[in-house]
Amino acid sequence: MMDEMHDLVAAYAVDALDDSERAEYEAHLADCVECREELARLSDGAAAVAETVSVTPPPQLKERVMAAVREEGATNVVSIDDRRWRPRLWVPFAVAAVAALVLGAVAIIQAFAMNDLSGPGGVIAAAEAAANEPGAIVAEFATDTGAVGQVVLTTDGEGYLVPSGLETLPEDRTYQLWVITPDELAISAGVLGNEPVPSRFTWTDDVAGFALTREVAGGVVSSEGDVVSVVEL
Amino acid sequence: MTRVAQGDAEAFSELYDQTSSMIYGLAVRVVRSEALAEEVTQEVYLQVWRQASGFDAQRGSVKSWMATMAHRRAVDVVRRSQSARDRELKVPADGPVADIAEMAILGDERDRVRAALSSLTDLQFQVIEMAYFGGLTYREVAERLDTPLATVKTRIRDGLTRLRSTLGEE
Repeated sequence: MMDEMHDLVAAYAVDALDDSERAEYEAHLADCVECREELARLSDGAAAVAETVSVTPPPQLKERVMAAVREEGATNVVSIDDRRWRPRLWVPFAVAAVAALVLGAVAIIQAFAMNDLSGPGGVIAAAEAAANEPGAIVAEFATDTGAVGQVVLTTDGEGYLVPSGLETLPEDRTYQLWVITPDELAISAGVLGNEPVPSRFTWTDDVAGFALTREVAGGVVSSEGDVVSVVEL
Repeated sequence: MTRVAQGDAEAFSELYDQTSSMIYGLAVRVVRSEALAEEVTQEVYLQVWRQASGFDAQRGSVKSWMATMAHRRAVDVVRRSQSARDRELKVPADGPVADIAEMAILGDERDRVRAALSSLTDLQFQVIEMAYFGGLTYREVAERLDTPLATVKTRIRDGLTRLRSTLGEE
């Protein structure tokens, strides 16, 4: 099965998978470093094919594109270069339902979903127990005004976010939790809503940090960069 | 790209000048309609503008990032319109004209593209042409060529790998 998945990389690179195979392969890709490396190589080859059919577009197209971009404004593009972390997700590996929002090519790795554990109280108790397990990671999100939440991750992959005093966002916005991997991918760990409650997630791979961001409601593929807090381990 | 990510419209304009022939040309080739290709192109650039800060140079070049986006969109347009046709809905006169079963490129242009991709064997060129320009899935390619699936996948991979290493030699 695994080998079959690896085998699909070339077909994926030229978009020659049907929708269901594409989704399956993208789920695999999110977990497979080898495939991501191979895909980067093959995509260069595909771009070489693309270049052979170059045609100069009509000049008014540029005007339209530039106008659309101006309309969009620079506000959507918040630079977070000055932070040590930034989301790095361009390879098209999409998995979750949130990906449906997404403009075709770019990526979300919604590796797992937040869910309740018999109500917020149950999650808090479970998070406390988890924090006391040997080897558990306990990290705190903080801002200038103090702590805004705690993340706990046990060695067997149980994760918890317990927010504290996060301000409620307008209804068209949401908090989103990200796991930062050692190779600096920001992987969405869950969309928390505008008024986050204690939540549970699972994460079994290595982790270099966590980030909490504000995004448009529904969550995003690639963070807009409105970072609330980052914890590096 | 860093400047584009910071919202620098001038940098974006330069990026457009450097890449728009590739993006638009690819879109025209795949969707086979200038109007639709313009739409695809515009969407790609908006996406680039929005997501430039997520671009990671370690994962490949700007060009291949953008070609990937454009190709995915173009193929999705073709497949959607194809499935609309399969449901016997009326396809706008402006829609992609040819059946995707037809060869993706014809005539002189095909010769020119073939020459540019001269490092490929004929068999590799054939499957890449059908899949990449024709928008067919590898299963459809295998069916049309009456060739095993594994062979089609291998030809695509070997072909792309060869193109990539040819680039490296330049």
